[in-house]
Amino acid sequence: MADTTTPIAAQVALRTDSYTPTPADFEFLTNRDITMDQNFASQSYWKGVAIHFFKNKRAVVGLVIVAVIILLAIFGPLLSSYGYTEIVSATGADGKQVVARGIAPQLPFGQLAGVDHGDLFADKSFLFGTDDLGRDLWTRTWQGARISLIIAFVTIFIDMIIGMSYGLISGYFGGAVDNIMQRIVEIANSIPRLVIVSVLAIFMPKGMGLVIVALLLTEWIGMSKIARAEMLKLKEQEYVLASRTLGAGSFHIIFKQILPNTIGPIITQMMFSIPTAIFTEAFLSFVGVGIVLPDCSIGSLIEAGFNNITTLPYQILPPIIVLALQMLGFNFIGDGFREALAPKLEDM
Amino acid sequence: MKKLTGFLLAAFVVLTLVACGGAGGTATDSSSTDTSSEASASASASSSAATSETSGSATTADGKYIGVMLSTNVMSLDTDLATDGDSFEVIADCIDGLMQMDEEGAAIPAIAESYDLSDDGLTYTFHLRDAKWSNGDPVTANDFVFAWRRICKNAGEYAYMMDEIGNIKGAAAIVSGDQSDETTLGVEAVDDKTLKVELEVPVSFFPSLMYFPTFYPINEKFYTELEDGTYGTSPDTFLSNGAFLLEDYTPGTASLAVTKNPDYWDAERVKLPGISYQVVGSSDNALTAFKNGTLDVAMISGNQVASAESDSDLSNKLNVTGAGYMWYLTFSQTENNAQNGMLANANLRLAISNSIDREALVDNYVMDGSLATFTAVPPQFAASASTGEDFSADQSKFSDYIGYNVDKAKEYYETAKSELGTDSFTFTMIYGNNEGDEVAKVAQAIKSQVEENLPGVTLNLQPMTKAERLDKMQNDNYDVALTRWGPDYADPMTYLGMWVTNNSNNYGFWSNEEYDKIIADCVTGAYITDYDARWSAMYDAEELVLKEAVIAPLYTKANANLISEGVAGIEFHPVGLNRVYKNATNG
Amino acid sequence: MTKYVLKRIAMALGTLLLITFLLFVLVRIMPGNPFPSERMSAEQIANKRAEMGLDDPILTQVVNYMSKVLRGDFGKGTSLYNGAPIKTVLGQCISNSFRIGGLAILIGTAVGLLLGITAALNKGTFIDGFATVFSIIGVCVPSYIFLIFLQYFFSYRIPFFPYFFDNSRFLFSSIVPSLSLSLFTMSTIARFTRNEMVEVMDSDYVRLAESKGLQGGALVRKHVLRNALIPIVTVLAPLIVDLLTGALVVEKIYGINGIGKLMVDAIAGEGVDYNYVLALGILYSALYIGIMLVVDILYGVLDPRIRVAAKEGGDA
Repeated sequence: MADTTTPIAAQVALRTDSYTPTPADFEFLTNRDITMDQNFASQSYWKGVAIHFFKNKRAVVGLVIVAVIILLAIFGPLLSSYGYTEIVSATGADGKQVVARGIAPQLPFGQLAGVDHGDLFADKSFLFGTDDLGRDLWTRTWQGARISLIIAFVTIFIDMIIGMSYGLISGYFGGAVDNIMQRIVEIANSIPRLVIVSVLAIFMPKGMGLVIVALLLTEWIGMSKIARAEMLKLKEQEYVLASRTLGAGSFHIIFKQILPNTIGPIITQMMFSIPTAIFTEAFLSFVGVGIVLPDCSIGSLIEAGFNNITTLPYQILPPIIVLALQMLGFNFIGDGFREALAPKLEDM
Repeated sequence: MKKLTGFLLAAFVVLTLVACGGAGGTATDSSSTDTSSEASASASASSSAATSETSGSATTADGKYIGVMLSTNVMSLDTDLATDGDSFEVIADCIDGLMQMDEEGAAIPAIAESYDLSDDGLTYTFHLRDAKWSNGDPVTANDFVFAWRRICKNAGEYAYMMDEIGNIKGAAAIVSGDQSDETTLGVEAVDDKTLKVELEVPVSFFPSLMYFPTFYPINEKFYTELEDGTYGTSPDTFLSNGAFLLEDYTPGTASLAVTKNPDYWDAERVKLPGISYQVVGSSDNALTAFKNGTLDVAMISGNQVASAESDSDLSNKLNVTGAGYMWYLTFSQTENNAQNGMLANANLRLAISNSIDREALVDNYVMDGSLATFTAVPPQFAASASTGEDFSADQSKFSDYIGYNVDKAKEYYETAKSELGTDSFTFTMIYGNNEGDEVAKVAQAIKSQVEENLPGVTLNLQPMTKAERLDKMQNDNYDVALTRWGPDYADPMTYLGMWVTNNSNNYGFWSNEEYDKIIADCVTGAYITDYDARWSAMYDAEELVLKEAVIAPLYTKANANLISEGVAGIEFHPVGLNRVYKNATNG
Repeated sequence: MTKYVLKRIAMALGTLLLITFLLFVLVRIMPGNPFPSERMSAEQIANKRAEMGLDDPILTQVVNYMSKVLRGDFGKGTSLYNGAPIKTVLGQCISNSFRIGGLAILIGTAVGLLLGITAALNKGTFIDGFATVFSIIGVCVPSYIFLIFLQYFFSYRIPFFPYFFDNSRFLFSSIVPSLSLSLFTMSTIARFTRNEMVEVMDSDYVRLAESKGLQGGALVRKHVLRNALIPIVTVLAPLIVDLLTGALVVEKIYGINGIGKLMVDAIAGEGVDYNYVLALGILYSALYIGIMLVVDILYGVLDPRIRVAAKEGGDA
C-alpha cells in the first residue's frame, strides 16, 4: 500500500511546505485521476455506496432506530385511547372534578415520584404517565416526535440545499463574490433571531409555519461556514487544478469534484444542527413564537418537564430519551453514509 | 504515536476520575439528610450558602439576614419609575412615607406624626416627626413636595395615583402636559415640619394612599447633586429614611441586600439585621433553594405547592396569603373582532362564563390557595370602613349570572345561537406567557372546558408577551383575553372604575349609561359623603357588569410562601406593599 | 497581508453600520410597545413618545442615535431599568456573561480537543465509542438541564458550590454554570476533532510522514492537528459568540445578571425596549463580525494555502 501512495504523498507534502509546482505534479495527478476514473466507471457509484452502507452494522442499527421512531411517531398516538390534547379527569369523592395530573409511569422496579390520586384512576393506564395538566404523556411524546422529526428533516434540507451550496460557492469563487456573500452571512447572523421572528409574526400566524421560516432564515449559516472552510482547504488541491486544466466548469468542480470530499465535516455539522434546531424551536415556544399550545414538540415537552424537574422528575424523561435515541440513530446513519461515500475510509 | 496516545488517555482518565470522585461523594453524603438542615441552620441568607470559610463580606457571614425570594428583577428604586411589586417592596424597606401599613393593612403614622383634615374633606395637613435621611439631613416637608411634583411632571405609569386616584389639586393638568409649571400642584411645605395637601374632591381613603411608594419623599439637595439618571442605581446614589439601608444593588442584578438602618426613627422596632434578596425564576428552583437553606422566604406555585403539602417537613412551613390581583377573561365586543362582533352578544358571553369550572382550575392547576372568584371585585382586599366586612365576602351574591352550570351555559348558548344565526364560533384567546407558570395551564384548561361544554365553539390559544397582549387589548385587536388586575388601593373602585365608557382598561369597549352614572356618583358626585350609600351603589354597578358578563372573573391569586422556622412577623398584604419586614424576626 | 487585514476591518465596520440601520428599522416594526402601560393615558404616552423622538422621520432618528452612540451614549431604557443609563446596566451584564462564557469556552475547547484527539488515536476502540455517545448526549441534553443536575447534586445534596451565583466569589460560583454551558461546545469540538483527525490521519501525506519514521507528538502536532484545526476553528467561532452572549435559561436558574436574560427581557419582557434591543444587537453584531474577522485571519495563519488564496482573492 505504501509503495503506491508514497510518491504522491511526497509531492503533496512538498507542496504544502513550499508551493512550487513542478512538472512532476501533473504527471502523477493525471495518472491518479485515470485510475480513479476507471474505478468509478467500472461499477455503479450508488450501488457501491449502498453495499458499503449496509455492510456497516452501526449504520443499520441507526437506520432501525430512526425507522422505529418514525413508525411510533406515526402510529404511537393511535395505540393510546387518549387524544394528545385530552385532559383526563374524574369526579372525586367530594363531587369536585379531579384531573389525572402528575401520574408517574409504572415501572417494573418501582414507582417514580408523582401525584397520589388514590384509586381514582386505577382503571386507567398511562405507559409514560401523565403531564401536569392530566394528559397522556405517551400520546404527547409521539405527537412531539412528529414535530421534531419534521424539524429534523427541514433542517437537513436547509443544511444540504442552502447552507452547503452557499458555503461551497462562496469559498470556491473567493474574491468579491466571497466578500459579498460573507457580508450577507454576517448580517443574517447578527440580527437577533428573536427580533426577526417577532417581526415575521406580524405577517404570518404563529405555529409550525413560522418556526420553519425562522429556521430557514438562520439555520443554514453554520453549515455554510463549514462548507466554505472545507472549500478553502480543498480548492487549491491538485485534483481540482487538474480538473480545471482539463476544462471542467466551476459548478462541475464544486459539486462533482469537491463536494464528495467535504462530506465528512458536512455530515458531522448536520448531525449537530438537528438538536440545535429542535431547541431553537423550544426557545421560540418559550418566548411565545413557536409551537402553539396545546400542540407540542419534543422541545416544548422538555421545557414543560423542566419546570417540574425535582417534583415530577419522570416528566422530562420520555422526550429526552426519544430525542437522544433519534440523534443516536441519525448519527449512526450519518457515519455510515460518510464512510460509504468516501471510499478511502473503508475498512479502516 | 503510542506515547502520545497514552498521555492523552491518562489525562482524560484523570479528568473522568475527578468527576467520578465528586459523584461518589454525592452518594455517600446524601444518605445523611442532616446535611441540608445543618446548612439551613447556619445559612447566611445571602446567596453565599454553606461554605462559610470562603465567604467574603462580614455581613453575609452574620447568619441572621433572611434570604427572601423575588420573582422578578428589581426594575428601579426610583419611585417615579418603579412599576412592579418587587421594586415597591425594596423601596418601602428603605424609605418611609407619611403613613405606613400596620399588620391589618390599615394606615398608621410614619414620617407624619399626625394629620388634620379640614371640615370639607379637601385639605390634609400632615405634621412631620424628626426623622433623618441616611446622609444625616432631616426629612422635611419640602422632600415630599419635590418628590410629588416630580412624579406629576414626569407623568409616568403611577402618576395616575396623583390625579385620578388621589385627586390632588392641579395634578391632572400637570400629568396631561397641559400645565407645564409643576409648582401649581396643590402641595405646600408650610414649614419644614408641616405639609399641606389640597384635593379636588374628598377622597375617603387618602391617608391609606400615603403608604404607597409613589407618595414617598426624595431629598431634593441630594437628588439634584447627582449626575442625571443615576439616582437609585447604587447604594451611593440612594438615600434611605426607613427601616433599612440599601447595602448592595446594581440595576439588573439578581441578588441585592438591605441592612438595618441604625438611625431609623423607629429603629427599636426593627429586629432583622438585614434582608438578602434573590431573584428566582422558577418555582421548582425556589423549592430546592428553600430546602437548601439559601432562601428563608420562597414563593412557590402549582406542582411545588402540592409537593410541599404532601411533605411533612414542609407542609407546616407553608403560608398562604392573598396576592390581591384577579385573573379574568375579557371579551372584545366590537365589530372588528370575534367574527364581526359575535362576542357583543351577552348570551354568548354568559354561556362561556358559565361553562368554566373555576373550582377545578384552582384545585388542579393553580393549586397555591388561589380562590375561585364569582364577583367582579375580588375578595379579601376591600373591607367596609363602617362594618369591617369584606366587599366580596359573599361569593354567591351573583350566582344567577355566574357559576359552573353546564345546563345553564347550554341554555344561554342556544339563545345566542338563534340570536346570531350561526352555530359555529371560532375565537382566539390571547394570554401572556411571561406572567407565571400557571397561566398557560389555565388557558389550556379553559379551552378544554369551553370546547367540551359548548359544542361548536373553538377557542384557539395564542401566547404572547404581556406587553404584546396589552398592546393588542388596548388597540382592540383580540377576541378573548386572559388578563389580570391588581388593586392599587383598598377600595372596590380600583376594579369598578375600569368598566366605565372609554376607560383605557375597558378592554371590551362596553358602554352602559346606568353604570357610568353610578360610578360617577361614587367618585365625584352624590355618594361622595355618604359612605354606606356609596358602598351599596357599588354592588349595583358590579351586578350590571356580571349580568352581561362584560368580564368572566376566574380566580383571585394567592401566594404560597414557604417560611423557614424561626422567621416570624413578616406582614403580607394583598394591596399596596406585598411584604413588610418592620416587625419581622429571625430566630 | 496587512492590506488584506485593513480592508477586512473597513468592510467589517461598513457591515456593522448597515446592520445597525436594519436593526433600527426592524425594532420599530416589532409588535409590542416601548411604553407598555395600563395606567397612563393616551396623552401621557404620546408625550413620552415625542420626548424620545419616536415621531421623527426614521432617518433623523438613526442619525441622532448614531451620533449619540459614537459618543458612547446608548440612552436609557423605556421599560427596562428605565432610570439607569444603559451602559451602567450593560457593563455589569457583559462582564458577567463574558467571564462565565469565557470559562465555558476554555473548558469546552480543552476537554473537547482532548477527547476528540484521544478518540481519533484510538479509533474503533471502547474510548472511541464512549466519545461518540458522550458527544451525542452532550448535544441532546440542553445545558440548563445539566445545570439543574449539577445544582441539585453539588449545591443542594452536597452544599459545596453556592446555590445561586454570587458576584463576590466570582470564580468559585462560575464553575457550575460554566461547566454546564461548556457541554455543548465540548461535544461539538470532540466530535469534529475526532472526525477531522481520522480523515487527516488517513491522508497520503500523513502516511508518508509516518513511513518516513515520524511518529507520536510531532506527527500529530505538525501534520494531523494543523490540518484538522481549520474546520474546528470554523465550528468554534459561532459557539464562542453564543457563549459570550449568554444563555437565558442558565442565567435565570442560577441567578446570573447576564446578557442572555437582558436580551429576552428587552424583547419579551414588560415591553419592547428599543434602546436595549439596539444596544444589545450592536454588541452582538460587533462581537460576531469581530470574531469572524479573527477567524478569517487565523485561516491564513493555520494554512499557508489559504493565505495565498486570500491574497489572490483580496487583490482580485
